[in-house]
Amino acid sequence: MFDKILIANRGEIALRVLRACKELGIATVAVHSTADANAMHVRLADESVCIGPPAAKDSYLNIPALLAACEITGADAVHPGYGFLSENARFAEILAEHDLGFIGPKAEHIRTMGDKIEAKKTAKRLGIPVVPGSDGGVNPGDDAMAIAKEIGFPVLVKAAAGGGGRGMKVAHTEADLQLALSTASNEAKAAFGDGSVYLEKYLGKPRHIEIQILGDGRGGAIHLGERDCSLQRRHQKVWEESPSPIISPEARERIGEICANAMREMKYLGVGTIEFLYEDGEFYFIEMNTRIQVEHPVTEMITGIDLVLEQIRVAAGGDLPCAQNDIVINGHAIECRINAENPVTFRPSPGKITQFHPPGGLGVRIDSAVYQGYVIPPYYDSLVGKLIVHGKTRGECLMRLRRALDEIVIDGVETTLPLFRALAREPSIIDGDYHIHWLEQYLASGDAKPH
Amino acid sequence: MAREPQDKATPGKTDERDLIRDLATLLDESNLTEIEVERAGLRVRIARNVTVAASMPVAAMAAAPAASVAAAPAATTAAPILDVAKHPGMVPSPMVGTAYLASEPGAKPFVEVGTKVKAGDTLLIVEAMKTMNQIPSPRTGTVTQILVEDGQPIEFGEPLVIIE
Repeated sequence: MFDKILIANRGEIALRVLRACKELGIATVAVHSTADANAMHVRLADESVCIGPPAAKDSYLNIPALLAACEITGADAVHPGYGFLSENARFAEILAEHDLGFIGPKAEHIRTMGDKIEAKKTAKRLGIPVVPGSDGGVNPGDDAMAIAKEIGFPVLVKAAAGGGGRGMKVAHTEADLQLALSTASNEAKAAFGDGSVYLEKYLGKPRHIEIQILGDGRGGAIHLGERDCSLQRRHQKVWEESPSPIISPEARERIGEICANAMREMKYLGVGTIEFLYEDGEFYFIEMNTRIQVEHPVTEMITGIDLVLEQIRVAAGGDLPCAQNDIVINGHAIECRINAENPVTFRPSPGKITQFHPPGGLGVRIDSAVYQGYVIPPYYDSLVGKLIVHGKTRGECLMRLRRALDEIVIDGVETTLPLFRALAREPSIIDGDYHIHWLEQYLASGDAKPH
Repeated sequence: MAREPQDKATPGKTDERDLIRDLATLLDESNLTEIEVERAGLRVRIARNVTVAASMPVAAMAAAPAASVAAAPAATTAAPILDVAKHPGMVPSPMVGTAYLASEPGAKPFVEVGTKVKAGDTLLIVEAMKTMNQIPSPRTGTVTQILVEDGQPIEFGEPLVIIE
């Protein structure tokens, strides 16, 4: 087991990782930019190292500074959290070259799944159902129109180097295709340094269903059920729940086993999430994320398994926590991602939190690094915290969520709490009847009643 | 040795102060005249009626805390550190690593208190992963304080020297 882990991240996930380390008796090193000197996880860590100025490229993405911090503190492993360097295969390789542990998958798997075209090919090969689309990338010389016609319009042009909802353009009809291709490619080149694109069928009203997996790197793997993350704004998840209101135990077992078997064959190490679009009873693979995800707590609440702890365990060569049949889905959990943004315009609202009261009680969990008096810096994402609620049934969970949302206090900055209070009372949400376009349609309709 | 809560006023401090405090209490409560403890790069000796001395072998930097812990006599208080961070002549470290005051062990230090420097003169070296980085003086002036020890681990922004 590792003696000392350097947490190469910030905010709520850094605190989350710190908690798991402490429970495992592992010493913690918090690295931070000058803007994060007063972060809660920095205050709680055994040691801290300031690694740079506020800009992420000079601090949290600064590989030499991170390595130097490992060197001077004697850390023997790095946890990359999510975002930043968590899916940077080169970073994982560099750590290995320096005999440092990386709490994550093998570099080759990060690389395979990081290229979305490769990922789809790999998924296909492993027997995972995929969205009908171009066979590989669509290059300038190819007959894109012919490929698109074969898939059937509308089609989605996607960046190979994208992911996380970025670098996508819809072509509704044949007339839109050329523009969608060139725009998507140019944007991808600018944003990811790689203009390669591929085509997929654009599904009308799918739900976003993802499967959590955990592998021990030696051919053992389990799945921990699904999460429904259909409620998104600009491809960013806003509300996640587990289990999905519309997935039956049979469907869960079927797709879960397909995913777990694929991970066994790959000898995948660590946590990962296989994301699908689900429509008319069919699952379509879109991508795999080779890291811990923001919404991991809902899976933890229904399975009782600490995913970050297990991540660290398998990275250190340990075994899976249990066999597949020991995984039991208990009750229902919902997570709301609370952002420091205006609840109507979504304009970011950094600043000082003047009052903070987290709700408590049975089945209520807050994963947040903020505290009263904390100043949210303007340099990073606007996530204030995640409110996660568990209940024996979805109905009980929704009641508890409403209560917790009404009780929570975050003053001094604007937050999206009013939006969640409205969603928790919205009939379609209560019925579990929504899809990936639902939230944007709801926000655009003007029927949205922030509470 | 019982672990005590982290000192939140100085983020990142290790339990060295706790260790010293515990040993001092032990000395008080017993008939011992002297206690010496050594572990992972740190050796502490406490004796009756003598000032506490904490020494940190230069070679064992790997286990040393990254937060600025002075290896010098424990009589150093926290107040001067706060002052120097705000001193207008303070030169902060542009990187993370280990500070060395000379080009190699045994060589003459680049600068000493009183040395006059021009902008661009090397003040000291910060080593990270076997690469030596010379830290240049940002201005012309006189070195009035050297704030780091040879072999001390330093973080980004750590006060290195004062040039007035």
